[in-house]
Amino acid sequence: MLPGLILGGMYALVAMGLTLQYGVARIMNLSYGEFLVAAALATFFLYTGLGVSPLLGLLIAVPAAYVLNWAIYQLLLVPLVRRAKNRDMLEVDSILATFGMLFVVQGLAHVLVGGQYYSYSYLSIPLSILGSTVALNRLIALLFAALIGLALYFALTRTRAGMAIRAVAVDPVSAGLVAIDVRRASAFAFALGGALVAAAGVLVSVFLTLNASMGVVFTTKALIVVIMGGVGNLLGALLAGLVLGLAETAVARLIDPGLTLAANFALFLIVLLWRPTGLFGGAAR
Amino acid sequence: MRAATAAYGMFGLALSALLAVVPLLVSGYYLALGISVLSYTVLATSWALFSGPTRYISLATAAFFGIGAYTAAILGEKLPWPLVLAVAALIGIAVALVVGLSTLRLSGIYFVIFTFGLTELVRQLVTWYEVNIHGSVGRYIFVDVTQPVIYWYLLALAALVFLAGWLIGRSRLGLALRVIGDDEGVAGHCGIDITRAKLTVFSLSAVFMTVTGAIMAPRWTYIDPAISFNAFTSFQTLIMALFGGATRLFGPLLGVVPLVVLFELLGAHFPNYFSILLGVVFMVIVYLLPQGVAGLFTRGPPRLRTVGIGARLAERIGRVFDRPQASPPPVAAADGEAVPEILATRGLRKAFGGLVAVDNLELSVRKGEILGLIGPNGSGKTTVLNLISGAYRADAGEIRFRGQRIEALKPHRIAQLGVARTFQLVRVLGSMTCVENVIAGLAFRSPAVWGGRAEQMARALVDRVGLGARAGMPADELTYVDQKRLELARALAMQPELLLLDEWLAGLNPAELNDGIALVRSLRNDGLSIVVVEHVMDAIRSLCDRCVVMNAGCKIAQGPPAVVLADREVVRAYLGDADA
Repeated sequence: MLPGLILGGMYALVAMGLTLQYGVARIMNLSYGEFLVAAALATFFLYTGLGVSPLLGLLIAVPAAYVLNWAIYQLLLVPLVRRAKNRDMLEVDSILATFGMLFVVQGLAHVLVGGQYYSYSYLSIPLSILGSTVALNRLIALLFAALIGLALYFALTRTRAGMAIRAVAVDPVSAGLVAIDVRRASAFAFALGGALVAAAGVLVSVFLTLNASMGVVFTTKALIVVIMGGVGNLLGALLAGLVLGLAETAVARLIDPGLTLAANFALFLIVLLWRPTGLFGGAAR
Repeated sequence: MRAATAAYGMFGLALSALLAVVPLLVSGYYLALGISVLSYTVLATSWALFSGPTRYISLATAAFFGIGAYTAAILGEKLPWPLVLAVAALIGIAVALVVGLSTLRLSGIYFVIFTFGLTELVRQLVTWYEVNIHGSVGRYIFVDVTQPVIYWYLLALAALVFLAGWLIGRSRLGLALRVIGDDEGVAGHCGIDITRAKLTVFSLSAVFMTVTGAIMAPRWTYIDPAISFNAFTSFQTLIMALFGGATRLFGPLLGVVPLVVLFELLGAHFPNYFSILLGVVFMVIVYLLPQGVAGLFTRGPPRLRTVGIGARLAERIGRVFDRPQASPPPVAAADGEAVPEILATRGLRKAFGGLVAVDNLELSVRKGEILGLIGPNGSGKTTVLNLISGAYRADAGEIRFRGQRIEALKPHRIAQLGVARTFQLVRVLGSMTCVENVIAGLAFRSPAVWGGRAEQMARALVDRVGLGARAGMPADELTYVDQKRLELARALAMQPELLLLDEWLAGLNPAELNDGIALVRSLRNDGLSIVVVEHVMDAIRSLCDRCVVMNAGCKIAQGPPAVVLADREVVRAYLGDADA
C-alpha cells in the first residue's frame, strides 16, 4: 500500500505541471519530460560538482525554469496560438512543435552529458513505516510534492490570479469577455507548469537513476495521469496519480512485474473510452 | 478529361516501370535508401488516406507496422512469403476494426493520445509475451527475401496505395470523409453512415501499414518489440505526410522524398547532433509550412471530382458494398382523417441533468402542412428538432415518421428515410464550394445521386436558393444569409418529405425575409411537409397552417397562428403575467 501511494504521489507531482500547461494554455507539451530530466541532471551536477543540496537546488531550478518556459511560450508558442483557428488546430500544431522541441532538448542533453546514467546518494536512509521499508529521501520528496500541490491548489482557488487561470481553462473566449488577459494568463500558466516540472525533476533526482533520453517515460506517465484526472483538474491529477501508482504496485505484486506498463496503458485506454473527459469530470476545479 | 486520365495512367505505368529497374542498376546504400523512401511513401500516403480528409491525427502507424513485422517474424519460415503478407493484411484489418469501433467516437486530442497509448500497450503485451512465453525478447527472421525483392514488393504496394487513394478521391466515400472532417454532425444529417465510412478507410489504411511492416521485417534479420513498435515510426510518418500536404494524394510523397534523404544525410554526417537537427526540421515545418509542400503549388482545398473514369469505377466498386434500401410505402390516411399524418410523437421526453428540456410532448405533422413550433427562448423547440432528426436520443417516448418508429435510429438513417434539416447556428461545409455542399446532400440520400447528374442537380438547387452566381465559391467565404440559403439547398438535395427549419428566417432584413417566406411557401406547394422553429411573428402568421406553442418543455397551446398567438397562456409565457 505505502509503496503504491509513494509511487502515485510521484506521478501526481510529475503530472501537475502538464495539467496546467495543457489545461490552461492548451499546449500539449510533448517535450515535458525532457525538461524534467534536464532539471534532474542539473541538480545532479549542482550537488556532485558544487555541493549544492537538492532542496536548495529547488530554489535555483524553479525560478530558472519559470523564466525559460515563459520565454518559450512567448517566442515559440504564441505564433501558433495566433495562427490557430480553433482549439483542435492549436493542439495539433503544439504537438508537432513540442515534438520538435523534444528532440532539440534531448539532443542538447546528449551533447552536454552523454548517454550514461546518473544518480547520487542523498539522505538514502531506510525507514520502516507500517511494515514497509521506505527511503527517507523518497518521503521527503513526497512531502515536498504534497506541499507544492497544496500551495498550488490554494493559489488557484483562493486568489484572483488563480481564478483567472481557472476561467481561461474553462473557456478562453468567455474569459476574455470578462477582461481577463487570456494571453498573459496562458503564458503564466505555461511558465508555472514549467516551474512545476522542474520542481518534479529536482525531487525525483533524489531517488531515481536517470539518463538523458528518459524524458519520454515521464511525458507518457504525465499524459496518462492528466487525461485520466480530467484536463486542467489538479485534484483529479492527484487522485489519478494515486490510482495509477496503486494499480501498478498491485499488478507488479499480484500478477507479473513485466505487465505493469501494459496495465498502465490498459487502465488508461479503458478510462479514455469510458469517460473521455477524465475520471473526475469537468475542467479546472 | 478522358485523355488526361489516360495520360496520367500511362505516366504512372512508365514511372513504375522505370522505378522497377532500379534494383538492377544499384545496390547497397542506394537500394537501401530506395527501400526507405518506398516504405515511408506507403506509410505516409496510407496515413493521409484516413487522417488527411477526416483530420483525425493517428499515432497508431507503429502499432500496425509492428503487427505486420511480427506476423512476418512468426510465420516467415512456416508459410510461403505471399501468404505471410496476406495473413498480415487480415490481422491488420481485424485489429483496425476492433480499434476503430472502440475509438472512432473519440475526437481531437483524445484520439491522438489513444492511438499513441495503443501502440505502447501492444508493445508492452508483445514484450511480455515474448519474455514469458516465447522465452526471449527478440526473434531472428531467416527468410529468403532479398533486398531487390523487398523493393519490388514495396513498389507494388505503393502503386496500390496510389490507386486506392485515386479511387477514393473520386468516390462518394471520399466525399463522406471530407464532410466528416468539416462537420461530423452535418455528415450524419446528410445521410452518411459515419462509423462505416471511417471504419472502412481506417481499416484500409491499416492494411497498407501492416503489410509494409511485414515486407520490411526481413530487412532487419533480428527484430524485437522496441524495433518494430517504435513510436518514432508513427511520428516520422505523420511529419512526412504533413510536410508534404495530407489533403492531397501526392502530398505525402512530396514530404517523404526530401525528408528521408535529409534524415539519412543528417544521420551520416552529424550523428551526434542528429536529434537536435531533426527537432529543428520539425519545428521549421510547423512554423513555416503549415499547409505542406503541396500547399505551395496549390491554393485552397482540393476540388471534388464526380465525373470521369475514376469516379465511375469507384462508384461501381462502391455499389458492391452498398446495401440496397427498400423504398418506403406511401403514406395513407388513417380512418376518419382527411390528410395523412407524416410525423407523430408520443410522450416524448429529454432531460439534460436536472433540466427537463422536453416533457411528455405530443406532436403531429400532417402531410403538406407548415407547422410552426414556437415558444420563448429555452422552451425546448430546438431540442425537439434534434430528437426528430436523431441528433439526440430521447429518454422516453416514441417518434413515428410515416408510421415507422424512428426514435432509436441514427441520424443518417433518419435522413435517408426523408427527414432533412437546417441548423439554428448555420452549419455549412466550409472547405467546400456551394455546389459541393449540395452534392453532399445528394450523394448519401436514398436513392443516391452521383456523377454528372449530381453536378447538374446541385447547380439547379444552388440556383433555386439564389446562389447561382456563387456556385463555385467556398462556403466559408459566403455571407451569413447566403450560408443559410446554402444550408437550405443542401437540405432540399436530400429530397426530404419532412423539412425541419430551425430559425431559418432569423437575421434576414425585410426584403430578404419576404424572399425567404416566398421560398418556404413554394416548397410547401411542391408537397413538402415543413416544421419551422421561428421567432419572426410575421413569418409565423403568413406561413404556418398550425402552430404548437411550447414553454419549459411542455406544449401549452396549439391551433391556427391567429388563435394561439392570442391565447392568454401563450402571451403570459412570452411576455409575463402583467401583459396577460
